[in-house]
Amino acid sequence: MNNGEIIAELEKIVGDRYVSDEPEIQYLYHYDFITAEPEGKCDIAIMPETAEEVQEIVKIANKHKIPIVPWVSGINFGSIATPRKGGIVVDLRRMNHVLEVNEDDMYAVVEGGITWADFKGYFDKYHPDFRIGVTFSPPGTGVVPSCLAYGMWDLGMIGGTGAEFTNGLEVVLPTGELIRAGSCSLTDYWYGRQPLPDISGLFIGWEGTTGIVTKAAIKIWPKLPYRTDFLPFATRVEDGVPMLLKLSKAGLGIVDLLMTNMGWAQSLQCFDQKSVAIDPVSLGLPDFIGLITTEAYTEEQHKAQCDAIKKICREYNIEPLTADVQTRNFPKKMRGVLGHIFPVTGGQMPIQFWGCWNFARGGGGEWIGCYNTTRNIIKYYQISREICLKYGKSPQYYCRIMFGGHYCVTRTNVNFNKNDPEDIRKTRQILKEIHDAVQQLEGTIMYKPPKWVVQHYKDKTLPETNNLIERIKKFLDPNNIMNPGQGIGDD
Amino acid sequence: MVKEEKIKFVDGKGITRIETVPDQQKLDRHKDLEYYKDILYQCGKCGTCRTGYQEEGWFRVCPSGEFGKFEAYYLGGKNLLSWAVTSNRLDWTENLANIFYQCSVCLACTQQCQIPEIHYYAGEWLMAMREKAVQKGLGPMPEQKQYTDHVGKEFNPYMEKHKDRTNWITSNIKQSQDAKLAYFVGCTTSYREQKIAINTAEILNSLQVDFKILKEEYCCGSPVYMTGQTEKAKQIAETNVNIFKNEGIEKIITSCAGCYRTLKETYPKKFGLDHGIEILHLPEFILEKLNNNEVKFNNNVNMNITYHDPCHIGRHMGIFEPPREVLKNIPGINLMEMPRNKQNAWCCGSGGGVRSAFKDLSNFAANERIEEAKETTAEAIVSCCPFCLNQFKANIKDGEIKTFDLSELINKAIKS
Repeated sequence: MNNGEIIAELEKIVGDRYVSDEPEIQYLYHYDFITAEPEGKCDIAIMPETAEEVQEIVKIANKHKIPIVPWVSGINFGSIATPRKGGIVVDLRRMNHVLEVNEDDMYAVVEGGITWADFKGYFDKYHPDFRIGVTFSPPGTGVVPSCLAYGMWDLGMIGGTGAEFTNGLEVVLPTGELIRAGSCSLTDYWYGRQPLPDISGLFIGWEGTTGIVTKAAIKIWPKLPYRTDFLPFATRVEDGVPMLLKLSKAGLGIVDLLMTNMGWAQSLQCFDQKSVAIDPVSLGLPDFIGLITTEAYTEEQHKAQCDAIKKICREYNIEPLTADVQTRNFPKKMRGVLGHIFPVTGGQMPIQFWGCWNFARGGGGEWIGCYNTTRNIIKYYQISREICLKYGKSPQYYCRIMFGGHYCVTRTNVNFNKNDPEDIRKTRQILKEIHDAVQQLEGTIMYKPPKWVVQHYKDKTLPETNNLIERIKKFLDPNNIMNPGQGIGDD
Repeated sequence: MVKEEKIKFVDGKGITRIETVPDQQKLDRHKDLEYYKDILYQCGKCGTCRTGYQEEGWFRVCPSGEFGKFEAYYLGGKNLLSWAVTSNRLDWTENLANIFYQCSVCLACTQQCQIPEIHYYAGEWLMAMREKAVQKGLGPMPEQKQYTDHVGKEFNPYMEKHKDRTNWITSNIKQSQDAKLAYFVGCTTSYREQKIAINTAEILNSLQVDFKILKEEYCCGSPVYMTGQTEKAKQIAETNVNIFKNEGIEKIITSCAGCYRTLKETYPKKFGLDHGIEILHLPEFILEKLNNNEVKFNNNVNMNITYHDPCHIGRHMGIFEPPREVLKNIPGINLMEMPRNKQNAWCCGSGGGVRSAFKDLSNFAANERIEEAKETTAEAIVSCCPFCLNQFKANIKDGEIKTFDLSELINKAIKS
């Protein structure tokens, strides 16, 4: 590839200030700087400002048949924005605006490069009676990539994944055409994906291999006046999960319903190495930490909801303490992030997931994170716990009940010291072992899968389905330029 | 207001506060790059450093990143580039040095990061990278080299003659040659913002404080030190400390944020020159007098103002409240805060050698701040740093907003 010739063409589109093939600029796109996945290679980085500029960039990539990788922050646990086959990284960070907020139909139209910090900052300032769902991921990460890769957030119980919060998309296809999906394809309103054929599915779950999303409509939510965050503890995960599942089917205005084990909670304290316990359970600490967030429109409604939640918790002999009361009881050393993700205790998500979560501050971490049937919650934890302890890693488990209890997320994180090659090697081994073991549970499907997991799914998927996926990918991206080497459509 | 009426639960202030993080690794400050290299990998370039998270709103805080756009210009990128060169993943190049110099070292980024070592110490390795760039012959930038050469000859970076340094002194300013207290004027004030010097001297006269201007006052060394030229800056510092000793100085008042930081922090802690002299910035000195009922404000200064925190006394030295306290005591002053204030203040874009070497970035930062000030509807931006003042003056268009140094308002209020 003659970089000079291509750069000259790209500079005509965005100006020389926003194109670079300098090693110091490229270096920060080679690798995600978090996971244990191998480095990739960025040849040219470019920052467009408009959809039209994205179209022109894609046309050049097609002309030269060079890979092109959509990018916002490059942080996800599958390393799916790491350029695997070189080429142009299209960094969308200049496209970071909220374009429209429709309070009546409750959605916001945003550009493809907007971050959670920008999105939340905008809503706090201009639409304080509404809120967006926010994630555990750092505020500097991308909203639209999260939606496209089935990320989820603190409204997951009422709205499902980010994909389900997505009303419509504007996309530059791998061949350069600009299309829209959803109601926005034929009206000025972006209220939903119904009732036309839902072509959003051509871009959701494809890991950026079928187009570059330049605009998306995301559902927003009213801030109801009454809210309580319960933070109940139980001795074992097995004790608390049945309670969560019962709560998930009881209505009660629950907007967020999740649990972590003590290992995860401990990692959120940002301790240093000498202050962490590999297995906090062995110290007699409770291993189930639940979070139940309920919201209501009236005081009476809220009281009734809270009373019912407390009643269900107590049926399982679990004391339904609220987050402010529970965290007040924490030893001073443990008043880290956990006490500060709730409004009532002074926090606000998104949190700096990485700074707070990088267990013992090794700077590295990766997960086996799966969508799952709720039947697997406990088994998944038991399997991953055993493997983590075998390798001397603290088991960190997290489960969120999604969309009124229709499914869930189960996730085991493994942290490591990214300055230590041996720890990286060990981490890769642990991840593989956990992945292989939890795959024995029917219903477990990893999201944001790294390349080595994708092949596993292709092997398990019905051949005809695989064939259809590959045909769609080839139809949309005949030159195979869009994020090659990633996603389930890659051959 | 609407929000408060309708919403019964109160949103938190922001992301996790750093003070809740236990057991951060205690490191020394002012060390070289080698000392910090094993911390750098902790950064995951998560982007938290780009934004401030306050009750007033969430907003971008990094002039370098917002101007340069590529990750390399934000703290996350700089952390990882530092890691890359210290672990031989990348080579030192002119371009790498250039990236590190395109930063005013305002440290707004470090305030946001919640990884304790980065929060507390990233400023140290940003400076250590500049120091290393100089050792490699890749720094400072040509314009910075030019002014450094002039500091060597005429003891100021403004291409002015040393003999003209005290031209601002008028006959009505009373000095006491026996005074143990010196007013260290600084280069920017001496040559570019002389009104600050006159106001400061008049304030001291009004308060009947015995003081003197040093017979020989040289550049404090800040513009040399901040561009990584540690050895040259240290030589300047040694000369100054000898002068202080020879003149029997026990206390120094500064009106320049850069001089204050350099004399108080850099001389003893980086250069090991423990001069034992009490260093006070003018607002600190005035506040002390106010608290002792030794200041009387005679005049009403009717004005809506907003206060701009200079990075070198604010984030670098923790002086946020004294200037505000002084302002609040001046009759007729109505202080209207900008959303980005105190630890999260947006830098004016003049420090760290940026104004001399990277004009576009410098002007971008200044204009962003001026717009923010205008949004408060204040009549004037007030600061207590001649470099900030000079930067605002250079960038304010058509009198869209006024700008003053705090000394001018104090002097107006104090004059009988």
